[in-house]
Amino acid sequence: MNLYDIVFYFFAFVTLASAGVVVFSRNIIYSAFALLFTFFGVAGIYVLLNADFIAVSQILIYVGGILVLMLFGVMLTNKVIDVEMKTGTLQTLPASVLVALIAGALCGIFYVTDWKIVRGVSAPATTTNSLGEMFMTTYSLPFEVASIVLLVALLGAAMIARKDRLPQIKNQK
Amino acid sequence: MDFLGSELLAIAPVLSVTILSLLVLVVESLVTDSEKISYWVSVFGLLICGAISISTLDLTGNVFNHMVNVGGYGSLFATLFTTAALLTVVLSRDYLRKEHVSFGEFYLLILFSTVGMMLMAAAADLIIIFLGLELMSICLYVLAGFMRKRSISNEAALKYFLLGAFATGFLLFGIALLYGAAGTTNISYIVENYGKLAASPLFWVGLGLLMVGFAFKVGGVPFHMWIPDVYQGSPTTVSGFMATGAKAAAFSAFILVFAHQEFESGEKVHTALAFIAAASMIVGNIVAISQSNVKRMLAYSSIAHAGYMLAGLAAGNQLGRTGILFYLVTYTFMNIGAFGVLSVLEREEEKNLTFDDYAGLGTKRPFLAALMSIFMLSLAGIPPFAGFFGKYYVFVAAINAHLTWLVIVGVLTSVISVYYYLRLVMMMYFQESELQFTQPSSVSSLAVLTIAALAVVEIGVFPSSILSLINNLY
Amino acid sequence: MSGIPLNYFVFLSAILFTIGVVGVLTRRNAIIVFMCIELMLNSVNLSLVAFSAFHGNTRGQILVFFVMAVAAAEAAVGLAIIIALFRNKQTVNIDEINIMKW
Repeated sequence: MNLYDIVFYFFAFVTLASAGVVVFSRNIIYSAFALLFTFFGVAGIYVLLNADFIAVSQILIYVGGILVLMLFGVMLTNKVIDVEMKTGTLQTLPASVLVALIAGALCGIFYVTDWKIVRGVSAPATTTNSLGEMFMTTYSLPFEVASIVLLVALLGAAMIARKDRLPQIKNQK
Repeated sequence: MDFLGSELLAIAPVLSVTILSLLVLVVESLVTDSEKISYWVSVFGLLICGAISISTLDLTGNVFNHMVNVGGYGSLFATLFTTAALLTVVLSRDYLRKEHVSFGEFYLLILFSTVGMMLMAAAADLIIIFLGLELMSICLYVLAGFMRKRSISNEAALKYFLLGAFATGFLLFGIALLYGAAGTTNISYIVENYGKLAASPLFWVGLGLLMVGFAFKVGGVPFHMWIPDVYQGSPTTVSGFMATGAKAAAFSAFILVFAHQEFESGEKVHTALAFIAAASMIVGNIVAISQSNVKRMLAYSSIAHAGYMLAGLAAGNQLGRTGILFYLVTYTFMNIGAFGVLSVLEREEEKNLTFDDYAGLGTKRPFLAALMSIFMLSLAGIPPFAGFFGKYYVFVAAINAHLTWLVIVGVLTSVISVYYYLRLVMMMYFQESELQFTQPSSVSSLAVLTIAALAVVEIGVFPSSILSLINNLY
Repeated sequence: MSGIPLNYFVFLSAILFTIGVVGVLTRRNAIIVFMCIELMLNSVNLSLVAFSAFHGNTRGQILVFFVMAVAAAEAAVGLAIIIALFRNKQTVNIDEINIMKW
């Protein structure tokens, strides 16, 4: 077992353990902070797969953006003075059956598929160049569509969460 | 530059609606009392966009490095989506005023979701399907919760959002596995190499997860649980748009990925689709009987109709594909019409939505009652109207594919469905009630409903007009 | 190089996906359900990056970016919806949403 293996198992453990905390913790704040470790763990795995740029984006977007947004959501929707931020569970039995099916199917398929190749052969040393080039050439149209998706999300979020505005203020005056 | 210019021209339908959306966005941010201007810009803009979509019907090929297909199939759907958006926008103006939420952002979101739908139908790559789907869905999440002060609308939005995002997870995992099997997300590459890929279990699981994602979006049983609550809680005209435009968009992508000559031997896929179709027909129609709320009844009926269309997809032959497209065109008109009548009659706080409220409508509002009867009879699939031919083509396709059991289920459940559609018609003409329908209905709403009803009758009497258009595509 | 075969990465992704699905199906709090959906999306990204390394092309990594962009967009809209609901109902527990059957 060399260093690479140890690092892989370390990140895999961090990811899965913290994901477990996200799902099973009774306290929503614990869940939110455990999610931070999951995101970091996944970013570590990206580095092991030679996806350096993705790893950095993972930290910037997920940790810097999405997680902060979620923490805001938690703070805004739980009366912080009430320490009780309990969250229960429901419908455990049907869920566990379904989940066992999914997990079994996925793991079975991945086991059967013949690609037990030791990785790290063909991937380029740094991906930033080729990614940037593909965004501007092959994937220029999806890139533009993604920008529209973000614009719509901005508009929609502002529309639905803002304070009330009366329609036709002029008329009512 | 010339090269880019011709590519941009080739995607003119999508581009024109995008520009229109951005125009409305500018109007919204610059003008103070912008709702009226946004409305008119949207209406005229959509008319132009529809014309552009029709003009690109004859183009072929793909652009932007095999990202989107040009013309044909995509343009037919683009025309359908702009029509649905136009009808929805016109019907919505009165409805939004009535509910005191007449903000111009509504039209903006309808337009942006139309862009997403058009991308889905034109996609040549799974990435475009995914992005188009998300663009459409994010707009619809917001539209579902557009009446922000009403908790039923909030709940519809939350439910739609959580289950929609959950389904997106499955769809994405499916795309990831297909990429893992094929090394690309290009649809035509995957279809052409079907023989090679079919050996890999990864491919089949990926396809299965993709099917779950799409089945969720079209509302096929057992992935239908969101439909009744979301349609009931959303603004009525938005429900109509979801049931037609969004459903048609999901079907367009479903057909793109699953309906290919190469798959015709792949019986696993078609058996799974046939079971989803049968379950949707049975559950949709039987639960619809017990509904007392017309809006909720229409939601269950939309599950059943998704089942009929899935039967065409399960058939997996040429006639099946033609049948679904024909069905989608007719369904768009009759269902937007039905939800439109609902939106005209609805009063604040979700009043006037139960079967009992429709008693005596035939004498009080004879014109609206007549329109509603046309839509109901068409949805039930009674011959002179368009709905009959939709079902007919789909069922014939299923028989050709030796899915006789599915057709038997389909015909039996159609008979069941006649009961609850006709119940509403009977209610309107043979029952009396004290309830008054005082709220006015504007000329524009009535005009749009009349156009939808005329389309239903026209397609029913001359089905070949639409059919020849569809047959030109293949 | 290393002794970790590629399917270990995909196994990890499958387990993460399953954990996410468990969470979505069992938790009541809308924000936690949403966090679990993010777990699912992360697992998708993980397998995309692994497949990308396997095929030796960067298409998979490109897809990851689009997934991230969409995840960010969904987060913004989703939390706005949750806040709007909280304003009206003072709860974000999905089984306390009673007007309609969940």
